[in-house]
Amino acid sequence: MKVNEKCVGCGQCIAFCKYEAIEVRGKAIFNSACIACKACIPYCPVKAIEA
Amino acid sequence: MKAIIIGSGLGGLLSAARLSKEGYEVEIFERLPIVGGRFTNIPYKGFHLSTGALHMIPHGPAGPLAQLLEYVDADVEIVRRKPIAVIRVPRKKGDTDYKYGHKDLLFENFRVPFSLWNRIKLMYYVISTRKKPPTGQSFEQWCRDHIPQDWTYRISDAFFGWSLSLKAADVPVEEAFEIIENLYRFGGPGIPIGGCKGITDALVDVIRSRGGTIHTSSEVTALKMDNGKVSGVIVNEEEHDADIVLSDIGHPATADLIDEKADIEGMDDYIRKTDKIKPSAGIKICLSSDKPLIGHGGVLLTPYAKRVNGINEVTNIDPNLAPEGKHLTMAHQCVHWNDIDDIEKEIDLGLEDLKDIFAGKEYEVLLIQSYSNGWPVNRSPSGADLRNRTPVPNLYIVGDGAKGKGGIEVEGIALGVKNCIQDILNL
Repeated sequence: MKVNEKCVGCGQCIAFCKYEAIEVRGKAIFNSACIACKACIPYCPVKAIEA
Repeated sequence: MKAIIIGSGLGGLLSAARLSKEGYEVEIFERLPIVGGRFTNIPYKGFHLSTGALHMIPHGPAGPLAQLLEYVDADVEIVRRKPIAVIRVPRKKGDTDYKYGHKDLLFENFRVPFSLWNRIKLMYYVISTRKKPPTGQSFEQWCRDHIPQDWTYRISDAFFGWSLSLKAADVPVEEAFEIIENLYRFGGPGIPIGGCKGITDALVDVIRSRGGTIHTSSEVTALKMDNGKVSGVIVNEEEHDADIVLSDIGHPATADLIDEKADIEGMDDYIRKTDKIKPSAGIKICLSSDKPLIGHGGVLLTPYAKRVNGINEVTNIDPNLAPEGKHLTMAHQCVHWNDIDDIEKEIDLGLEDLKDIFAGKEYEVLLIQSYSNGWPVNRSPSGADLRNRTPVPNLYIVGDGAKGKGGIEVEGIALGVKNCIQDILNL
């Protein structure tokens, strides 16, 4: 999963990730727990998450 | 009459609830899978964090939002309990940070740190500015001209940073004085039981009980135009007809939905104006603790912090916003437009502030949330928005891109919705 430049760091994606695979500090970053389930994509308000 | 509403943020939901009360058939299209925009809760480690706003209503149970919620029959509870606001100052006079200890002043006593001469001037200005509000400059400039003292700048930056996510230098003096007037008129903040979601859920219930529909995961990709008016919206390539359309996604994003080829008078000028809008930015740091960090449900303003403007601990009023035995504290700091690209540095400064403010207390940083550009604190900075109208006569903007005068955050959204609906019903 990739995070594009539109990410503002609002952290909304984190609440919908079942794998604790996202960290956020100014911008979201995926860690190694990500299984690319894509569940977070629709919850991003700025379309910043790309598969 | 049929109204379509784009976006289910607070402005969209309030508009739908209000119009459905007037007998309109309302249909909301929301792009995200969840309802509430930047005004609902997100679950995290057993806490009710929020998608955007803090769990606080600026004028509590008496303000424009509470009045509108009551008018549309929304079942909400907003609790205001003393102290409503406290100002943290260094313990020793002359200190410029909290490193060597602090003391707390009740907001009512904000005049105490002023010099005697400035206190006398302030008494005069309190009366004279209500009769003849100043115009044509920023609030900061007005302060420099009239009450020049370090405390003036600190308390105004903390207050407007907390309430508008703007520096006093970026608040027009007219807007600042209208906000101060509203503080006298409606009083201070309160906590909505259930947090932001307590309010948005109640509005969803109202809308559904009156036959309105809300579609989630349904993005409006274009407006259907007919003879210079909007006749509906396009969602998933399907047309949905409406007599009026209200947009809760702000002026610029709404302008993007209008086909460039549609020949609408005033459109070029409108697009030029929407391009100039600079959304306000901010950072919210959410903390968890076993023991209370603040100990009351009011706001703690922090004028001597480097970045943090204010903090609240909502679990002192609604303990259910955290797991049993835990407290939820949220700090807000304004991010100036020039610093958006340096957001990590701004976060570090905010975290350093919290260490000083809560020196000797134990807490855990739950989540750090930042807001800017496409998902900002406010789509239009307070006092500079374009109001509800667009060049398309039956297309209106609601929400934080079209607030009413002197309305802090969600109070401004409620005032903007009230103005917009009055405009629609007088047609």
